[in-house]
Amino acid sequence: MATDTLMPAPQAPGQQAARSSWRVACSVWFATFMREAISRTMADRMGWFWMIFEPLAIIAIMVSVRGLFMSGSHVSGADYVAWMVVGMMGFTLFRENMMRSIGAIEANRGLFAYRQVKPVDPVLVRCFLEGMLKSLIFLLFIVIGSLLKFELIPDHPFGVLLDWLSLWALGCGVGLTLSVAADLVPEIGKIARIMGLPLLLLSGVIIPAVYVPHQFRQYLLWNPIVHGLESMRLSFFGGYHTIDGIDMTYLWFWALGSITLGLALHMRFHDKLKAH
Amino acid sequence: MIEIRDLYKRYHNHHGSHWVLQDINLTIPTGVSVGLLGRNGAGKSTLLRLIGGMDTPDRGVITRSSRVSWPIGLAGGFQGSMTGRQNVRFVARIHGAGAGIDEIIAQVEAFAEIGEAFDEPVKTYSSGMRSRLAFGLSLAFDFDVYLSDEATAVGDRAFKAKAQAAFQERIGKASLIMVSHGEGVLREFCEAGILLERGKARWFDDINAAIDAYHLAIDGRKSTPLVVPTSLTEAKQVLKQANREFEQIRLDYQIAGDDPARNDPDDILRWRLEDARERMLEARRYVQQFQSPAP
Repeated sequence: MATDTLMPAPQAPGQQAARSSWRVACSVWFATFMREAISRTMADRMGWFWMIFEPLAIIAIMVSVRGLFMSGSHVSGADYVAWMVVGMMGFTLFRENMMRSIGAIEANRGLFAYRQVKPVDPVLVRCFLEGMLKSLIFLLFIVIGSLLKFELIPDHPFGVLLDWLSLWALGCGVGLTLSVAADLVPEIGKIARIMGLPLLLLSGVIIPAVYVPHQFRQYLLWNPIVHGLESMRLSFFGGYHTIDGIDMTYLWFWALGSITLGLALHMRFHDKLKAH
Repeated sequence: MIEIRDLYKRYHNHHGSHWVLQDINLTIPTGVSVGLLGRNGAGKSTLLRLIGGMDTPDRGVITRSSRVSWPIGLAGGFQGSMTGRQNVRFVARIHGAGAGIDEIIAQVEAFAEIGEAFDEPVKTYSSGMRSRLAFGLSLAFDFDVYLSDEATAVGDRAFKAKAQAAFQERIGKASLIMVSHGEGVLREFCEAGILLERGKARWFDDINAAIDAYHLAIDGRKSTPLVVPTSLTEAKQVLKQANREFEQIRLDYQIAGDDPARNDPDDILRWRLEDARERMLEARRYVQQFQSPAP
């Protein structure tokens, strides 16, 4: 194993003291964050517009489809539109964290020429940025939805916050793991992209989990996203009823497990990811 | 000072893996500019990347007790979708420039002289523009050792003069480790040389001795350095001479064409041909330099 004694990073003019590794990491994160934030929000035409309009359009389509084909459109204990908004937001938080992480290493490859930048940095930064953006949009939906008289004020705000952070952690963990896997084996990235839609259907975003026949519920509960979404809806709507067996500990096993696995993979394959 | 101890490096590929660098032991003293020589694929760029910390050795230790730049070259170092300005800002930030960022950006913009293109994505740049930006960027930081991977080979005459002046200014403070096929450039910038051959490195205190050894290893004969011309007519003469040599060697190479040893990497004729081609290109560059309008 190589034991390369790294010098502290070179200094800018005027700064002569060697920086600690922590300071170097912080400046790399800040620089990467600024770069990612600019390219995420400014590079696409109407980047901001799509960020808000996309979930809005999906929710509008789902609500209207449901209104057309299914009468009696109510979920026990919650307003359907609000129920849908909460589920969709929670799910996109997870999915975007996963998807954005997969492309993070490839999109920043040119910057690995600087020894301060590690492959894990853009992934961490993207997860953070994605979480901030989605939180902002969720807040925006809550404010606008409430003004439009949908029941979008959470009954247990603190519980919602915890569930939101849990889904975020799960997305980061899966993203960290897949970012390494998809870079080493590109097919894994493609499969992850294909899995987006089935996951949406299997996570109880559109079809309430209580509609699932009793004998299949135990399999539905293998999916950690179901636990996160249902728990968040329980905190959101005081009178909401859902299937038995919702357990946040299970989700956290997944989240912490995948974060650990992802970070370990990043350490193990650091050289390979960088030199690719 | 940069110390390399018992360094081994290999890359795994579909054809198995052989050692690119094997048991390298070198000490590069402070303030000495070094040229890296070797045939294509001898591991010059790999060694430079290892010194720069872009890559990690399979075995062995590299100790850098001075501030070493990233390898300044044409490939890598920039993110294509970001503009020149954004790239510079990014690099200044990761080096912890803090409040000095705007100063660095202004400095790089002034040095690179690429005008409006500074606010265009780097992927739209020509190789000359890229090297101007790369060079300007590296000079904005006070490194003790600059690593150059063919970066000085491009750019027009005016820019070369400017780059050289910038380096002259730093002599005594900073040194250079460079990979180049241009022997003129190596003689101009470097004092010492390292010859890489079959994974081994040999140190020469004098760059001319290193260049001679390089030719001896490749052609089995010494080669006279290409005369650096001082006028257009002289440059044209040098080019004519280089062209004639190249044609001669190409003829020899073609006559031996059916020889199965042709694709053997140790085939002397092939290396002689490549060497002649590089000399011809260098001579052509001299002519172009004199033809392009002086600043």
